[in-house]
Amino acid sequence: MTHQAHAYHMVDPSPWPLTGAVAALLMTSGLAVWFHFHSTTLMALGTVLLLLTMYQWWRDIIREGTFQGHHTPPVQKGLRYGMILFITSEVFFFLGFFWAFYHASLAPTPELGGCWPPTGITTLDPFEVPLLNTAVLLASGVTVTWAHHSIMEGERKQAIHSLTLTILLGFYFTFLQGLEYYDAPFTIADGVYGSTFFVATGFHGLHVIIGSTFLAVCLLRQIRYHFTSEHHFGFEAAAWYWHFVDVVWLFLYISIYWWGS
Amino acid sequence: MALSPTAVAARRVFAAAAHSGQEGGSVRTWKILSFVVAMPGVALCMANAYLKMHAHSHDAPEFVPYAHLQLRTKRFPWGDGNHSLFHNPHTNALPDGYESPHH
Repeated sequence: MTHQAHAYHMVDPSPWPLTGAVAALLMTSGLAVWFHFHSTTLMALGTVLLLLTMYQWWRDIIREGTFQGHHTPPVQKGLRYGMILFITSEVFFFLGFFWAFYHASLAPTPELGGCWPPTGITTLDPFEVPLLNTAVLLASGVTVTWAHHSIMEGERKQAIHSLTLTILLGFYFTFLQGLEYYDAPFTIADGVYGSTFFVATGFHGLHVIIGSTFLAVCLLRQIRYHFTSEHHFGFEAAAWYWHFVDVVWLFLYISIYWWGS
Repeated sequence: MALSPTAVAARRVFAAAAHSGQEGGSVRTWKILSFVVAMPGVALCMANAYLKMHAHSHDAPEFVPYAHLQLRTKRFPWGDGNHSLFHNPHTNALPDGYESPHH
């Protein structure tokens, strides 16, 4: 019988990095095909492959960690670094869109009327639904912290309740944003105001959906006894990501909704 | 940065909770915060948004064909290529004006 003389995880060969790369290729080229040749087949194929990759890759990680015990303390440390670095990269991603917004809004061009908001743009009242959205995400930050403490102290039922509440708040945010998008008096095609607004808030909304999904997976895992009071990194990663989503919203709210109105 | 009074109060309570140093009681602390601060805060903002929404007029502003708005440099890849993804005939004008007579 072979033993490893170290605490690290030598991962078994896996096809998912390759299928993920192929999915990325199909989705990007598929997007170009859609724009130029009006066919969505390639993009749809890429999306399906992406979803299958994500499901199977993360399923394998759960198997390796929760069921096979490969996530020793040094391995978990590496996963923590990984998640922190990933979230940092996302911060930079959003930084770019905030740069675009401030570039356009701090020195509005004559074409816009030399003012911000540009002439003819009716902005959303920051103290109506956007304020509600802020309260919803802040509240979800409280409930996810309740969930974390519940897990750490072995309060199974409370963990399930608080995590469910967090996810519902996430869905409520997405629902409200959807309504706002439909009711908005401006569209993405309304110059640089529309572009910066919808690209920044749009990518944020996508991250809310991703974060809600991550939390939902954690809920399923909590129900199936995957987490212990000492070891529940999957949940911590989801909570970090969720707080990041919340902070991005706060910046969006202050910059675009409030200052930019 | 000033948020709603509820959020400001919430931040004060969070700071207090963080410094309380309670180990066993922290589940209860966050549960209380969730039901006494967070959820009522959301409820207040819901009420506020609802009241404000119904307080102002429903009419969309009159259409002016500005050159810097309703841009159509490239067709949208769906439908007739002239409607944005979340197009609302009531509030969104097309390049040549609102679609419906009553907007």
